[in-house]
Amino acid sequence: MQLAKQRAEVRITGATLPPIPLPTNCPGCGVGLDQEVLRKHAYVCECGHHFRMGADAWIAFVADRGTWKERWGDVRSHDLLNWKVPKPYQATIDQLAEEGLNEAVRTGTCALGGRAIWLASFDFRFVGGTLSIVAGERLARGMEQAVSSGLPYLLVAASGGARMQEGVLALMQMAKVNAAVGRLHAAGVPYFAVLTDPTFGGTAASLALLADINIAEPGAAIGFTGPRVIKQATYADLPPGFQSADFQLARGQVDMVVPRTELRRLLAHLLEIYP
Amino acid sequence: MTRHGRRPPQTTLSVWQVVELARHADRPYSLDYIRRLAPDFIELHGDRLSGDDPALVAGIGTWHDRTTVFLGHQKGRSLKERVARNWGMMHPEGYRKAIRLANHAAKFNFPIVCLIDTPGAYPGAGAEERGIAAAIAGAIMQWFRVPVPIVAAVIGEGGSGGALGMGVADRVIMLENSIYSVASPEAAASIVWRDNTRKVEAAEQLQLTSRDLLAMGVVEEVVPEPAGGAQTDFDATAAALDEALHRHLQPLLTQPRDELLQHRYERFRYIDSLVHAEPHFGPKI
Repeated sequence: MQLAKQRAEVRITGATLPPIPLPTNCPGCGVGLDQEVLRKHAYVCECGHHFRMGADAWIAFVADRGTWKERWGDVRSHDLLNWKVPKPYQATIDQLAEEGLNEAVRTGTCALGGRAIWLASFDFRFVGGTLSIVAGERLARGMEQAVSSGLPYLLVAASGGARMQEGVLALMQMAKVNAAVGRLHAAGVPYFAVLTDPTFGGTAASLALLADINIAEPGAAIGFTGPRVIKQATYADLPPGFQSADFQLARGQVDMVVPRTELRRLLAHLLEIYP
Repeated sequence: MTRHGRRPPQTTLSVWQVVELARHADRPYSLDYIRRLAPDFIELHGDRLSGDDPALVAGIGTWHDRTTVFLGHQKGRSLKERVARNWGMMHPEGYRKAIRLANHAAKFNFPIVCLIDTPGAYPGAGAEERGIAAAIAGAIMQWFRVPVPIVAAVIGEGGSGGALGMGVADRVIMLENSIYSVASPEAAASIVWRDNTRKVEAAEQLQLTSRDLLAMGVVEEVVPEPAGGAQTDFDATAAALDEALHRHLQPLLTQPRDELLQHRYERFRYIDSLVHAEPHFGPKI
């Protein structure tokens, strides 16, 4: 009774979401968009089209109001390989920092429906949400802390894969992070992943698909190799819906496809029933 | 200066020349090495779930008087064999076969030797449909739980997650003219420029040669090749690889299992410690 009451009190979003740039019309149904209306509906159009959210919006969405405590937010990526063309890597990351973005992964603790958790959210706007050394370090550290504290770990994935500009050290983040995921599982810490559009490459082939429960957003593209590269490599025509959330559900890669407007209630419920 | 103190051999080759040597059509492949290391090698097949991946050879053989599990990407020599082996690009079944054999090794306490030589995991629709991302992810995670010594060597191309899925080991070494990269130069050019003909520029920026990897602390040793490259003398290259792998295996054989797994965790957990982003953000070991 008590639990049911608490569950009913879980709102669609934890706090008011920040504004995000939207097209004038919905790419799903063509209807004119109203920022304020969409904002209250977690940026999901009435037709079911889910707009991509950055880490700031995801944190506001997941965390109960005022509970977010960011960790290791003060560390930034550097150009390690002297990457110059087509654009210097240092200039790329400096510009993104000026725009107020803080790496491709942000992590910290918060509450969801009153239950304390570790949260990590990718941000696709930062070099395509690519796994970098700083991103990998934030993920692995959060997981190690979740192991020692026993708090459940929630991941929001949105990533093109490993970051080319950090070379093989970006690739190694897959091993670093998966080692930590293994420790989460060995310690019996619940690990839930929300796979949003898009989740690809080294992120899909590491932590994103290794959760206890993989939850995909409707319409999200999820896979290892992107469709452009598949076509380039194999000259194959891909059927409509290839690598969509429903495609991955049918092939056993995700447990469920859940609309964002129902996601918080589901997560709050999972956090109640997993010890 | 490198983390492990061994200086890489000098070279006058350009980065792209090294890439071409790593991909040389006459370069020795995994089976050329495995048959020299363990002449009694017996190949084993299948992932016990749905198939067998010919892009990965797996089996057992006697190596320095010890039964050892060998795993290696296998590119084909003839066009027919290249097609059959899919140019050494693994499907999900390959990663599942590898973990099956790793569990086999754990049961009998056999050490594992992994030879890496792949452009990457297969970038095709069939691999996607059968869950290549989860297969690689699961393999990488499982390698950290395999309680026997694992030594790996990049013998040609170490491409992307397809290589890393076979590259979680207690020691990773590289042949001199091999490469190991976050993506193949073509794929990186395709991602960064949307133009895979910029592969030479991409290769030069990626820092993918054995010397680069040794300097970054990602591999423990670079094994010198005969002048002109490994393809000029299979026996000499195999002997050098044999000696290096065996030397790296020795201290692992007597290590308690808990310690072995803890060190493997730390090897990858702090693999970027030489170049960490901020002074206070570095490893705490």
